[in-house]
Order: sequence, then structure tokens, then C-alpha cells
Amino acid sequence: MDLQTEAVKDLWKDVDRLGDLLHCFNCSTCLSGCPASYGDPPLLVRNLARKVLYGLEEELFEEDTPWACVSCSKCEEMCPMDVKPFELILHIRQWQSTNDETRVPPSITEIYRRGYTQAVATNDELRAELGLKPLPTINKNEEQLKLFQEMLMKTPVVAANDYMFG
Amino acid sequence: MEFCLFLGCNTPAVRPDVERAIRATMEELGVDLIDTDNYVCCPAFGSFPSTDEESWLATSGWNLSLAEEKQRDILVQCGSCYSSLRMGREHLMHDKKMQKRINELLEPTGRSVQGGSKIRHVTEVLYREITPAKIAEKVTHSLEGLHGIVQYPCHTLFPSEVVGFEDSPREPKGMRELVEALGATVDSYSLERQCCGGAGGFMKSTPEQAIQFAKNKFDAILEETKADFIAVSCITCLMHMENVQNTINKQIGEEKYKIPVFDYNQLLALCMGKDPKEVSAITNMPRDAIHDHIAKVAA
Amino acid sequence: MSEKKPTGKVLVAGAGISGIKAAIELAETGYQVLLTDASTQVGGILAKLDYQFPTDHCGMCRMLPMVGREYSSEYCMRKSLYHENIEILPFTEVVNIEGDAGNYKVELKKKARYVNPDVCNELGKCIEACPVEVDDEFNHGLTKRKAIYKSVPHNVPQLLLIDKQSCTECGECVNVCSTNAIDLNAQDEVESREVHSIILASGIKLYNLRDFEDAKSYAVSPDVVSSLAFERMLSGTGTYEDGMIKRPSDGKPAKKIAWIQCMGSRNRRQNRDYCSSVCCMFALKEAVLAKEKGGPDVETTIFYMDMRTFGKNFQRYKENAVEEHGVKLIRCRVQEVIRKPDGTLQVRYFDPLTNEFFFEYYDLVVLSTGQAPFEDHKKWAGLIHTDLDPAGLLTTEPYSKVKLAGKDGLFMCGSLMGLTDISEAMSSGIAAAGEATNFLTSLDVSRKFGDDTPEPKTNDRSAPKVAVLVCQCGEFAGAEGLDTKLLETELRKVKDVEAVHIVESMCSAEGEQEALEALKKSGCNRLLIGACQPYMYRRKLKDVARKAGFNSSLVQVFDILGVSRRGLHEDDKTAWTRRAIKEIKSDIASMKEKPALHVQSQPINETALVIGGGISGMQSALSLANRGIPVHLVEKSAELGGFAGNSIASTIDGLAPMEMAKDMKLRVFEHKKIDVHLNAQVEQTEGTLGSFESKIVYNGNGEETKPIYLHHGATIMATGGHEGKTDEYGYGQADNIMTQFEFKQGLESGEIDLSETENVVMIQCVGSREKGKREYCSRICCMWAMANALKIKEKNPDTRVFVLYRDVMTYGFLEQYYTKARLAGVIFVSYDLENRPEVEIVEGKPVVKFTESVLDRPLEVSPEYLILSTGVDPEPSNKDIAETFKVDLNRDGFFMEADSKWRPVEFQQMGTFLSGVAHSPMPLPDVIMQAEAAAQKTFTYLSGGEIQTARVTSSVKDALCVRCQRCIVVCPFEARSYNEMEHRIDIDPSACQGCGMCAVACRNNAAEVSGWSDRQLMSVIDEKLSDDIELSTT
Repeated sequence: MDLQTEAVKDLWKDVDRLGDLLHCFNCSTCLSGCPASYGDPPLLVRNLARKVLYGLEEELFEEDTPWACVSCSKCEEMCPMDVKPFELILHIRQWQSTNDETRVPPSITEIYRRGYTQAVATNDELRAELGLKPLPTINKNEEQLKLFQEMLMKTPVVAANDYMFG
Repeated sequence: MEFCLFLGCNTPAVRPDVERAIRATMEELGVDLIDTDNYVCCPAFGSFPSTDEESWLATSGWNLSLAEEKQRDILVQCGSCYSSLRMGREHLMHDKKMQKRINELLEPTGRSVQGGSKIRHVTEVLYREITPAKIAEKVTHSLEGLHGIVQYPCHTLFPSEVVGFEDSPREPKGMRELVEALGATVDSYSLERQCCGGAGGFMKSTPEQAIQFAKNKFDAILEETKADFIAVSCITCLMHMENVQNTINKQIGEEKYKIPVFDYNQLLALCMGKDPKEVSAITNMPRDAIHDHIAKVAA
Repeated sequence: MSEKKPTGKVLVAGAGISGIKAAIELAETGYQVLLTDASTQVGGILAKLDYQFPTDHCGMCRMLPMVGREYSSEYCMRKSLYHENIEILPFTEVVNIEGDAGNYKVELKKKARYVNPDVCNELGKCIEACPVEVDDEFNHGLTKRKAIYKSVPHNVPQLLLIDKQSCTECGECVNVCSTNAIDLNAQDEVESREVHSIILASGIKLYNLRDFEDAKSYAVSPDVVSSLAFERMLSGTGTYEDGMIKRPSDGKPAKKIAWIQCMGSRNRRQNRDYCSSVCCMFALKEAVLAKEKGGPDVETTIFYMDMRTFGKNFQRYKENAVEEHGVKLIRCRVQEVIRKPDGTLQVRYFDPLTNEFFFEYYDLVVLSTGQAPFEDHKKWAGLIHTDLDPAGLLTTEPYSKVKLAGKDGLFMCGSLMGLTDISEAMSSGIAAAGEATNFLTSLDVSRKFGDDTPEPKTNDRSAPKVAVLVCQCGEFAGAEGLDTKLLETELRKVKDVEAVHIVESMCSAEGEQEALEALKKSGCNRLLIGACQPYMYRRKLKDVARKAGFNSSLVQVFDILGVSRRGLHEDDKTAWTRRAIKEIKSDIASMKEKPALHVQSQPINETALVIGGGISGMQSALSLANRGIPVHLVEKSAELGGFAGNSIASTIDGLAPMEMAKDMKLRVFEHKKIDVHLNAQVEQTEGTLGSFESKIVYNGNGEETKPIYLHHGATIMATGGHEGKTDEYGYGQADNIMTQFEFKQGLESGEIDLSETENVVMIQCVGSREKGKREYCSRICCMWAMANALKIKEKNPDTRVFVLYRDVMTYGFLEQYYTKARLAGVIFVSYDLENRPEVEIVEGKPVVKFTESVLDRPLEVSPEYLILSTGVDPEPSNKDIAETFKVDLNRDGFFMEADSKWRPVEFQQMGTFLSGVAHSPMPLPDVIMQAEAAAQKTFTYLSGGEIQTARVTSSVKDALCVRCQRCIVVCPFEARSYNEMEHRIDIDPSACQGCGMCAVACRNNAAEVSGWSDRQLMSVIDEKLSDDIELSTT
């Protein structure tokens, strides 16, 4: 492919504004112990860094592998250049979510709606059996939940996709 | 010692017996836990941290501000909650501009994030503050005669300068010493440091390989150890390591993988003589053998 | 040299190889040296290495003096070192330094060994008795040692010591010691010394697997070892008696071995953003040796990031390792090693060639542990009251690697400068000694050589009268083994033995006096001394003999305790004594035939000739001239300065070669001791060390000038080099395709304007590191690329810069520039020879097509500038010069030094030296260091007024010689030449090292080494084979 016509030179600045990824020298340390690198297709964070660096925008857009990361952060621990590969994965997801609403994870609408990804505090009966009192959760406190939702509504992705949070 | 207990989503919703175990054991060890009223999702890495920095840190900030208001550190069991909150706090403390923005967003609540509350993992407090020796003194129902293996939550190890508390994050000792304090023999095996593979989108996006990944680990456990149980201290490890055994059994059509998995505080609670029906009640992998053994040894 | 002046004295702190080299250089020059080392022994890291690249042998002894050998030991240097002008203080730390240049007062702490080496007989009964067992550091914990131990297995003498940390003070060793050598209450001693100058040579610590967190992901089994530990496995004195490679865990042979590179190096996260420079070659060498030792079924794999074969001949060694030995190289840094239940070590790696993951299982994993953080720098900075640079290192004067900034008389060398290979350790040691002699020359101090007692003249024709002196070593030899009565009786019976004397202890003052008197009375002319530890005492014993009137060459020292007890009953004194008698008798037989050998002095011309007026040549010339040596500086062009001095304005590390050269030119022209010959070339040269005559011809301005003849004692080749040329990648077909140098000049002159430039592509290794082309790495091109790339990014941050490389050669601290360039956004893309970039010229502009190696896909870009790194070529004139001076060039056209590791700035041809790019491409600070080293070597030979030959040299019996010249071919020291005028073989006695190769090669017995005649050797053999009926039946 022709880099002049098909690559976006400054893509890395959009994705990883601190530029940690620039330190990468392709040593592959991040790859060899990564759980999600066992996947098919494998998560190859080194290659993702490379795509960002070259500005291969369209390909990066199509990449599903960042979402397979287990967030164990071992790559971050072992990277000799302190590229922070796990955070790069989060940055790529953020970039995708920001530019493509279909990438926005549904879990954030759950959190917006009730404060949690799960149905927390709907099991008081079971809790009682175990000797537990009801939890003072936010979904039982309308005022705080409203404040929480209003706060989120001012953040970029929620604001940009407000229709999802109706 | 007093902490704001941060339970996250999975524990109270799916495994409240773990919550019960934590509350019961920590109280007995002299740790007071107060509820973090109106807390929200940590947020999980697959949620706001995957959409934008601001919504992530606003959500972290919400939780942190609650603890700061109570002037307590936060105690967490879930590995993801622990790591997400700690990384969130790290970002807020290093990025003054972002901290200012988040405090603007928090303003209507009357709370703010100044960095007063730290995030502590339950095993850190048990290992560092209470110490295994103290814990051993509290054991009335020993695990003597049982072999166990430990699963370190990755999120309490890496990156060590942000989340770590072990002297040597590449050679962690905490969980092992904590389980040994209960009287069990802790076996080592080659894949001990391998992640359980349960967090994030690995299982969802590429299940066949994710199951094989876990199977390798369980094969190593069966081959190389005499494990009667697995001790974890992360709700994801707990649920995944139970579920994946059942999934593999279903695939191969035999009950080959059936090692019960416990949260460490559940084991501790049992060793303190707590009622299994309260502290070890919910599971997909029968635990009767262990419950019976403990009862027998105690008797 | 006035008598009253004190002798110049230098402290060399650190007795690794660079410290030893500096010490020997100073000692050879006539200065007194105090050589200390904090460890228990001398030799540093090299004491552990039996095998060194590129010969895969040890060559440490090659750093011993080539002339004036009388003053120094001449045996294996890994055992120990002796030189009259060097006082060696192992286990000694420098704890305080006061005073200033020329007048330093140093406090030395001699650490307690708890064993008195003067009385210890090294039999090791104490070691057997000691109940404490701990890991042996020397073998990296692969073996055990006791609390009382010998710290280096092959050292002579074997200095014992007690490790007080593990010692339980049980007293068992004290009980069994028959010489009362052990004092458990010994204390450290601090003593104060005065020196004129100090050279810091304390080296570095290597990264220790146990000390660093990041190693724990790999060091999961005893079968994961550091590269130095592996070196101990290979060693004959190491962990396994047979030097076979085994798994430490179970002793099974290791058939599959992996090396993991950059352990602790190139790690920004751990604050070690530097390369340790030596590990790549180290690993290659170990992999080759593993194959050689373990057989063809041994598989070796090196996991690496960049294979840094930047030094002279490194690239060829690598290619040979891969092609001839089948060493596998995989470009992947692995994350962890997992120990499987059967003990095999699992490595998962991502193969860059197939873009797939693989599991591989090894018996042994070697971690290439590089340089640990620099702790010694901090200590020295405190002691010499100076500040460290931001990286925590001692600072040096601009352009110098050895002169400490702002501190006259203080220098450093070796790995204190950053991990160095042997060759650089040698150059830096010599250069530091050179700087120190330069400094000492400016002080009112003198130089001195050896003892002034004249040697007695022995009449060779007088009948041999042999005296035998036997030391019974206190009570030991008498009580535990030697039957001195029997010995005395039997020896008296031997023909020509006129006196036999038994001394109780030669090491004591009384013993020495007793021996001296007995010898004076003996009236003998040959002497055999039987004593323990001849390595240690030979010199002292010979001194006693000389005082008693014996010629040193007619004194032989015999290791009485070294007589084998094999096959004898432990208590059988008589049988052992008989064996000793037999040995002594054969020595007597040899001595009787021995002629008296004398040291010859050769006068020398103290003028030096320097060929090449570049920075290297000017530096050598100035350095020598400043020390009073007259210099002829011959430059073939019309101007001094050479390539760097005339065309390079700046370098990436902030140096300004042109500015520097301008200043040097002024100083050279103004110097009274330097004669500059421009437009001049050496056409012919004749002579040997100390007296050469060279014909200089001038070729300037087309005018014919008359040749002149120069007389000089030594020559330095400093011919330099220049940027290579190419016709690859469209060079010459478009204006915007240029070399790194051309681009740099364009940028500096302002001809190149980058404001509109979107893309720049650089291609590295153009015509380099490739068979049939430049078969070596030019070492500086990567730095040029970094410098130009950073300049581009500085001028226009929006310009995209792609650097297409094979291995990034930013060794040592240069790594920081690679990191800097990446951070600036420069994109580095690796390529290999099977898949090289292609350049097409479209409408007069280059289009570069290359494979993006990480993503494995073709990319293309049309850069505004295509910059080619075309390497460094040697000067074509090297060929003629080599012929004229009878020195060799290597295959690449650079001069070939005497020994690539141990003698980097000398030629085999005595009296000829080399420095700078004439040796191989190298950065400016290295050029200057080598120039300083070459000057020092020259100074050593020229400044003494005369040169002493060795006693043992070879000769030719003209009558037997058929002039086949075989001896000339085999002589490793180029001491022999064919004299066409006289039609005979000539020998340069100053070059001859008495090795005996000529005597072996000669088919007519015409070549002979004095003191090793056939008659002598035959009589020894006769004596050894004789059936001594009398003895065996007694």
C-alpha cells in the first residue's frame, strides 16, 4: 500500500496522546506471554502499536482483537521500553468507541442506568439467608443516581451517544 | 483498622456468600468494614475505560470521592475493581488537569477527589497488616491434610509499580503463605503464574482457544499437583475457574476436572468455624469434600 | 635521569584486564605501579573465561611485555602476574584520596584474609577440615566451597582466605594447620601511600540474576544460568571436571540450549536504557563452543533483538556461527521461561519469519546478563570529589574516554567507561597509561628499570660445577614427605654436583642469608634450587643466586612439592624422595649442557614516524612530541585533518571534529618536535625496531621534489578511511538520492530545505555486512542515521522518517540516541538480505518499496530524500603501505593488528603500530583513544634509549641452513627475515620471543633456540629413562 495516500500520519497522536507507543522497538516481549495471543485471531499488541504508528486508520478501525484482552497487564510489567501496551489497548478501544458508535460497549448503558453492570441488590432474600443486610446501593438512592447520570452525561462518549442512555 | 468495603458488581449480585465470608473474617481479625454507600461500578475495563478517559475517571472519581468523604481507604476483593480503581487513581493523581476536570464533574455531589483514600486489596491487608502468623492463630478448623494451589490475581501483580504490594511481583508469596497459614499444603506447578483467562473479552471473542488456554492450566494442575482445592482472591478467577471446568467436562463428556475453587476469605471463614451454608454456599463445583474434611479434622 | 628524582608512581585501582594492561604499560615505561583490586584475585571477569572470541581460546598472556621481559613473569596470566615495577595488592580497597595532581595521598584498606599467605603451604588440610559448605561465587553457585577456600581455582600461588560471613569459627582449620597460618582474629589494615597519578579501572558489576526482579520470570530453575555461569561450565577448572555442558539440576547432558539476550539491558522501564555491547558476541561464542564441546547433536538458539556485530570481524564470526555451526538466531524477546515437570524449559516465542507462535523446549537456558547499574562511579566521584553526569557516570574531558574531566592526573579505563570487549579494554588501558605517562613527564619524576646489580660474567667454557640447594619448607618437607638425608646422599653421588645444601626455609630472612653464604662458598657455576611455589619465588630465588655470583640463565628452580605422589602410599617418604631425586637428576643433566645466556641491549633511534595526518595521526604525533619524542608526520594530501577533520562539523554526541582538527593542526605545525611532510608518501622502508630508514617521496603540485630519507625507531599507521560509494538503490540516478554524509552536508550548508518535506527514507547497511561487498559493520552509520533523522525531526516534525535497517548498532550508551529517535517519531523498519528494499525511479524521483516486517506487508513511499548509509571504506593506499612495511591487511583492506583482542594497536612486525580507522571504522572518541594507545606503545619502546632482548632467542646455524625459509613463514612474531644481500636468514633478537616454532619447522636442525638445544633435551630424556638400579633396590 502507498503510505502517502492510504495512511494517516498523525493517527498516533489521536490514539495515544502521551506517545508511550513511540518507544516500542518491536521486541515482541508483550506477545509471547499474552493470554489473548492464544486466540484466533491472536491479539498481537505489538502489531497494533505498529498500525497506530504508521497511521493505518482503516485497518485499526476493523480490529476486533483489542477487545479480547484479558487486562492482566503482564505485558505492561514486562515491556522493556515502558510502552504500556495494556493502556494502548484501552486507547485503541477508546479511539474506536469515539469514532464508531457500534463499538460502544453496552455495559456502559447498564452502568448509567443502574450504577452497575450486574443486577446488584435485587437479591435481598438470598442475602438474608446468608446473614447479610441489604446493601446501600445507588439504585436505591434516586437522588445520587441522578447526580451520577448527570455527571456521566457531561463526559464525551455518553454525551455523543445520548440516545443510548434514554 | 477500618476500611470502606468496595464490593463491585459480581460479588454482591452473584456470589454474596463471598461477601459474607469477607465481612465475617475481617471482623474477627479486628478489621472494621463500613459500606461504601452509593458506590457504582469500578468501572470495569470493558466499560468506560474502553470508551474515553473522562467517563472512566469520572466513574473512578465518584467511588474514590465516597471513600474520601468517609476518610477511609478502600478494601477490594475483585481483581478488576482493584486494578481499575488503582489505575484510575494513579491517572488522577498524575494528571492534574484531568483531576481538576473530574472534580468539576463531581461538584454537584459536594464531593471531590484529592487522593486521600488509597485502594487496598484484601490479600494485601491480610498478608501485610494482619500477617499469616496472626491468621494461623485464628484457625480453629485446620485444612491440615489437604493440598491446595493458589491463583494470584494478575491485577494485584501487574503493573507492579501501580498495583503491586508483593516484595517480588514476579515471584509472589502472599497467597501461598496465607493458605499455608490455614494448615494446607500448597503445591507448585509449572503454569502457576498463568492468568486464569477469565477477564475481558477473551472467552467471548475466541472461546475455543480461551477454553484450551484454561485447559492447559488445569491439565498442569492435575498432572503436577495433588490439589484438593484452588484458592483465589478475585471474583473473576473464582467464577471462571469453576465454570471453565464444567465447560471442559461437558466438551469431553466426562467429569475429569472437578477441583473446587474458593475465595481465600471463604477458606479462612471455614477455618474459623463459620457455617458453610453462609460463607461457602454458592458454587458450580461441589465443595462437599472440603467442607466434610474440615468438619472431620475439627472433630 | 637524575638519581635524586623520585620514581614516578601510579595507583591503578582495579586489576581486571584493563587495569593490568595499564599497569604493565606503566611498568614497562619504567614507572612504579601500585595495582590494587577489591576482590581476592587479579584478572577480573576474564579470570572466569577460558575461551575468548574470536579464536575461542585464551590469549591473556599476549598482553605481557614483548621486550624487557627480564622484569616480568612469562607464564599464564590467568594464574598470576609478576613485574618488578608492579606491586600487586589484591583484596584491597581504596578508601580515601587526598591531595591533587601529582601529589595524591591514598588510603588503602587491606581486607583481612585470616590466612597468612607468607606461611601458608596451600596443602589445603584446612579446607578438608572445614565443616561449612556454601555456594562458590567463582562458579556462580554451580559448585560448593568451604568457608576457608581458594577463591580462583587456577591461581598460582593459591592464596587461601576465610569468608567470615559463613565461617562458624569452629577452629577446625586452625587445629589442622601445621604452619600456624590462620588467625581468626585478623583485622583489616589501612595504610597510606603517596602516588603521582591514579588510574581508575575497577570495571563494572554484571547484572546478577538474583538481584533483579525482571530476571525472575526467566530464572525459574537451576538450569537457567547467567552467561558467566555458562562460561564456568565450559571451563576446565569450572563446574564439571570434563568441561561438558550439563543441566545443573540433574547432571544430564544439555543437548538443547537457548540464550536470551539483553537481560537487564536495553530496558528503559528499569532505567537501563543502554546496551551492554559485549553480550551478542559473548552469546555467539558460547553457542559455537557449546556445539564444539557437546557435539553436532547439540542445538543452540539465540533469542535476540538486534545482533550487534559492530566490531572488527564480528560480522564474519556471526555468519560463521550461523552457517558453519548452525547456531539458530530468532529475533524475539521472550517474556518468560516455564519449567515443565520433567525439568525441560519451555519458551514460547513469536517467530518473525512465519508470524506464528511456537513452543520450544530446552535443557538449558543461558541469560545474557549485561551491565548492572554503575555503583562504582558514585564511589569514585565521592573519593575524588567530583560530580557525576545526569546518567550517574564519571565525566571525561571532551573527546577523551580516559581523561577524567577537570582532574589532572586522574584517568579511567576498561569497563568503568561502560562494558568493553577485550580489545577496547586493552586500548583503553594502554591509552590511560599513555595519558598518565604524559602527565608524569610534566612532573619532576624519573623512571627506573629493575635491579642495577651487574650480572656476573660466566665463562661458558669452564667445566660445569652444579650446586643443588633444597629448601625443606620449614618442617613440612622434612616431616611430611621428603627424606632430606637420602636426597643429600644421592645427589652428592651425581657427576659434576659439587655442593648440596639443605635450607630450612628459604622464605625467611635467615634462610636467605644462609643460602647466600653457602652458595658463595660453593665455587659452582650452575645452580639448581628445589623449593615450593616456583611461580611465586623464582624471581626472588634467582636474585639470591645472582648476589652469590650465578648467571640467571644458569639457575633453575624446581618445584619440589610438585613431584607427583600418584601411585605411592601416603606415608612412603622414601619412594617419594626417590621420585624427587630422579626429577632433580634430569634437571641437572639439562643444566650441565646449558650455555650462559645474556641479555643484549640494542640502541634505538627515538624518532617516530606517523603515517597519516588525520585526527588519529595528529593525536599520536602530539602525544609523543609532548613527551619529547621527535616525530615525522607524513600526510599524502596537501592538508592535515583527514576525512573527519576536514568535513565533519558535528557529531550526535555534541563533538565538533572540524573545530578540534583546526586546533590540532595549529599545535602540530607549531610543535618543535614535529616535522610535517605534506603531499608525501613512504615509498620504501628498511630496518627493525629501533632503527628504520624510510624513503619519503613528495608529489605535490606536480612539482618533482627530491625524496628524503628519514631515520626512525618506530612507525604508527594512522591512514584513516572515507565514506563508501555505491551504485545500489538508484544512487546516481536522481539528485535526491544521496549518502548520509552528503545529506548531512546539505543540511549544514542550508542547501537542503525540509520545510515542505513529507517523507524521508534511509537505507542502512548499503553494500555492508554482505558477502562479496563490505563484509563488516562500519559501526558509525547507525549513529549518522540517528543524527540526521533527529535533525530532520527537529527542523520539520511533520516529516515522516523511515529508517530501513538490518540490526540497529547503537551499542553501549549510544542506545539513548536510538530511543531518542523513536520518541521523535522516526519509524524503524527491519529488513533482511532475502527481502531488501527496492527503489524505482519514477519521473526522476525514487519510489521505495519495502516489506513492513512487523505487519508482514508491502508498503511504498515516494520520499523527497532517499539517504543511503554506505559505510566506511579503508584507504586504498593501505595496500602499498602494508607491502612497504611488511605488515598485513585483513580481507577488508584494514590493517591487521598483532592480536585482535590482546594487542589491538600493534603489528606483529616489531616497532610498527596502528590506530584509528586504519584498524577498523570507529567513532571519534575511540579513534583518539587508540591514537593515544599507539603513541604510548611507541613511547615505551623508544623512550628507553635502548631495547633489551630476551635471553632465550633463536639463532641459525648458517652451515646447516638450506634457506628454505620455512622458519620465516612459521614465526608468529615476524622476527625472521630473508636477507637477500647476504643470502641468509636474519633474526631480529628484539622481536624473537623464543617460542621455538622455527626449531620445530626446521628440517635441518639449523634453527635453534638458545637454552633448548637438542643435546640438552636428549640428556634430560636419557636421565628420565635411565634405570637407576641403585635407587630402586635400596
